[in-house]
This record gives sequence, structure tokens and C-alpha cells, in this order.
Amino acid sequence: MATGHVKDKLIEHCRGGLPAEQSRAIAEHLIACPDCRVSYDETRLTVSALSSLKPVEAPQDLWRRVEARLPSEQRSDQSSSRRFQMVLAAAAVLAAVIGLVWYLNAHKSPDQRLAQNREELTTPAPLPTTVTPEITPTPAARSGSRLPSLEVHSLDGAPLLAQSRLEGRGRLQVGEWLETDSSARAQINIADIGKVEVEPNSRIGLINTRESEHRLKLVRGRIQAQVTAPPRIFVIETPAATAVDLGCAYVLDVDESGSGLLRVTSGYVLLEDKGRESFVPAGAACETRPEGPGVPYFEKSSEGFKKALRAYSSGDRSALKSLLTSAERHDTLSLWHLLPRVNGEDRAQVYDRMAELYGPPGDCTREGLLKLDRRMLEEYRKRLAWVW
Amino acid sequence: MMKSDGAGDFPVIKACQEGDRDAFRVLFESYRDRTYTIAYHFCSDDTMASDITQQVFLKLFDSIRQFRFNSEFTTWLYRLVANVCMDEHRKRRRFLQWPTSSTGGGTDVSVVPESSAPASIEDHIGAREMNSQVRRAVASLSPKLRLVILLRYFEDFSYDEMASVLGCSSGTVASRLNRGHQQLAKQLSHLRQEFGRAISL
Repeated sequence: MATGHVKDKLIEHCRGGLPAEQSRAIAEHLIACPDCRVSYDETRLTVSALSSLKPVEAPQDLWRRVEARLPSEQRSDQSSSRRFQMVLAAAAVLAAVIGLVWYLNAHKSPDQRLAQNREELTTPAPLPTTVTPEITPTPAARSGSRLPSLEVHSLDGAPLLAQSRLEGRGRLQVGEWLETDSSARAQINIADIGKVEVEPNSRIGLINTRESEHRLKLVRGRIQAQVTAPPRIFVIETPAATAVDLGCAYVLDVDESGSGLLRVTSGYVLLEDKGRESFVPAGAACETRPEGPGVPYFEKSSEGFKKALRAYSSGDRSALKSLLTSAERHDTLSLWHLLPRVNGEDRAQVYDRMAELYGPPGDCTREGLLKLDRRMLEEYRKRLAWVW
Repeated sequence: MMKSDGAGDFPVIKACQEGDRDAFRVLFESYRDRTYTIAYHFCSDDTMASDITQQVFLKLFDSIRQFRFNSEFTTWLYRLVANVCMDEHRKRRRFLQWPTSSTGGGTDVSVVPESSAPASIEDHIGAREMNSQVRRAVASLSPKLRLVILLRYFEDFSYDEMASVLGCSSGTVASRLNRGHQQLAKQLSHLRQEFGRAISL
């Protein structure tokens, strides 16, 4: 039995943080000491109450807000020079490095590998066409990870998972890259909500995976995604836009410049970047460009309409007339997206043609829509969705 | 809650120190919910918690080159969290009323689901209400007592670690922890029956 009072140990006793022998002594003391027992009852209450507090998930857009306030990136000549020197040094000791990398890869922690794989996201490194690492990570090297990860398996050829050849199945951890060359394909299983097939010549990284959000970044190449999950659970970032899954299947291409094309085969995808949003339904496509998501269009639209849309989006205002005359009812998808992106007389013409093809709901006015009233735009979009 | 292995973050931190934004994003993703959780329970308001979390990571970005790898990163990070929480408290106290139970602060935000969810809607409502009362009680503590409680219960820091985070002695930490519990016991005494069954002798 504890000889003195035990009040100062009660918090840890109630939290189960004391050695068994000490806890037993305190319990025996409590039976005999009414004074400490009163304190014990109070402490037991508060420990139990505090233990019921739950972790809280941060808002999903927090990174965007933080990133927007970070100082702009600078690439100095010094860093370029240092990188060049590193390349020279690496070439000189290539054979030794391969041996060393193998050794380290087999022995280091997942976090160390994560850091090794950290490369520039904004400027993707070229695929290793000249040297294919002859590295086969041992299962032990990738076990015991505490980082969140997704299952990945090779479909064709030899994809690189965190710079190591992927044989069969592996885990893509947060911060790591999966790369395919011209003959490789791989599949990433997005927990139990879907899969992403990574086509040849692609590079995709895992930013985050948790129950409420799975976020990847495609810097080049093509993926095919099939997801059956509530909206906004699955997100793909590209250099030019972010594709937010609204429960769908789609193909996303990103070229070396970071621009790309999204083609949706079922459901809806929301493309967003730089304050622009593009809703892309099944059967439609949308370009992703450095200035933000483009205007979506249906692939079944006439060639004349698509040509005029391309020209008008590139700044050729004379293409507007052709665009509007060739528009059919389903092309209100493009016209609705154009409305807030054009000004003055062009906006009025776009609206009038759209209303002619499929009018707005009764509580939406021409004036309100031309002033881009958010509620009216959203109501009109919901109505138009019937013909999209 | 499980503590992270601070040393495991060292390679990522090194990359951050070299200006690697991708590494910083990884660090952000690793600690965003933990930081937000402390901030949210500290101020009991989701908007303020977002502000605090943003400030923490902006300060972290600015100062990460000063981390010398001779201490736990988590201790270092939570020193920032504690400082930003206290600064924000001081700043807002000057101009605004800090949200407490009486001001209605503490919007219900989604919490990380737990496997031991209540069995019925009635239980769920009861659990939410109890949780809300506990949060309000914590929010009513003085900021110094509040921080010690949150670091102990959400980060499972030892007294020495908390002392390092808060820049005080372990004895002061123990004293604040005890005082915090005593004040909470008074405020939550009406919940004795609900919580009383949780721990047995």
C-alpha cells in the first residue's frame, strides 16, 4: 500500500499510465483513504471526459490557403549550378552509388525513402530512359511503414515505384511517385472506392490518402479513373487544374507542358483552379491549361461548334457568331461555362442563344444572369443538366 | 493518440530546409489534423482554428531552417503551435470576445469517426451533447491550463516534453495539469453519472 497520499499520481493512475505495481498500491490506498478517494472520483470524471474529446479533421482546402500565402518559389543560378555539379558527381560514381542505394534501400526507414523520392513537383524529371535501376526492394524494406499508402500493382512492363522496380504488388506511400515508361502500365487501388490505371509514360504521386480524401498528382501521362464514392473523396491534381471526382469514371491526359485533357465516361468531374470551375459530365471533355480549366464541351458536338469554341477560347472574337449558330441544345454545357468568362455584348449574345436553346427557370431573370447572380447561375445549371 | 516518431521526419525536414515545397506539403499533411485539433479545442471555433493552423505552417515554413535536429521535431513544432495559440488569444482578447460556452462559439465540425460509435440515435445525440459540454468546459479554462490539458490528451506528451514546449518546468506542468483537472471536475460534476462508469477501481 502507498504510505502517503496519492493525489498527485491520480491523473496518471486514471489514465492507466503507471506501472501495475504502483497502480495496485494506489488502489489499495484509495480503499483506506476517504480524502484521496474524493480526489480520485473527481479525477476519474475529468480523465474520462477529456478522453472522450475527439481529434478534429482540418478543412480540406487548408493547404490551398497556406500555399497561397507562401513566398513565391525562386530558382537561383546557384541551385542550378549545384544540381549540375551533383549530376556530374553522380555520373562519376554511378557504379558505387547503385550498390550503396541498394544497401540503403534495404535497410532504411520508409520516411527516409520518402525523402529520397522528393523531387520537384513543378518541373517533373524526365523518365530514366538510359539507366533502369536494377533495384528490387526486399519486402522487409517496405514493411512496417507508418505512412498512409495505397496498393499498387504492375499491369505491364516494369513500372517504377519510389524509384524501385515494381514486381507484382507494392504500396505507394504518401510523398512517393509511381512512374511508367513506354511499355509499362500499373494500377493503383484507391482503398475500396475505385482504381486508377496508369498508362505508359506517366508519372503520378500520392499526396494524401485518408478515409475522407484520396489525393494524387499527375504531372504527365494518362490515367483512367473509376471511382464509386461520395463526391469530393477522390481528387487528382495536375499542373494546370484539379479534378475533383463527383462519382464517376474518366480519362485524364497531361502533357509535358502540364496542360491536359479530361474526358469523362460516366458521372461528373469538377475541374477547378485559379478561381475557375468547370463541371464536366459524362460524354464531355475539357482542356486543362495553365490559366485554369477550359470550357467543357460534348464530344458528340459538331466539328463546326468545337472548332469555333477552340478559336473563341483562343481569343478570336469573330468566332462567336459561328459558335452560337452551330450550338445545339446539349451545347448549353459550353455556353453556360462561357457566360461568366466573357464580358459585355458577348455575354449577352451567349445568354440569349442559351435561353433560346433551353430557357432558365422561372425565378431566374436575364438581368440577374447577365450580372452573374450566383444563385441564378446555379439554378440554371441544375435545369440545364437535364439536357447535358 | 499515437505520437509520431519525430526522428522519422528528419529526411523530410532536411528536404524542406533545402526549399523543397513537395516535402513541405508532406510535412503539412502529416501534422495538419493534429495541429488543427489542438487549435480547435484551444479556441473552440473552426474559423479561428483554421487561422491558427495556417499561421503555424507559415511560421514553420519561414523558420524550418532553424531546426537543428538535436531535439524532437514534434516538440519544436508544438512550441510554434502553443505560441501561435497564445498570440492569437492575446490578440483577440484585445479586440474581440474569445468564444466560450456563453458566446456560442464552437461550431460543430466533423470529427474523425471512431470505431466505437454510439449504438443508437439517442446515444449519438447524448454523446454529442456530452462532448459539446466537455469542449465548452475546456474552453473556459485559462489558456495556460488549456494548453497543458490538450498537449497531454491529444499528443500524449510527457511532463518533460510539455515543459520543453511551453518553456516552463515539469513541476509547473504538473501543477497546471492538476489545476486544470480540478477546475474541470467542478464544471463537469453534473456528468458524473455518464462518465463515472468509464473507469473502475
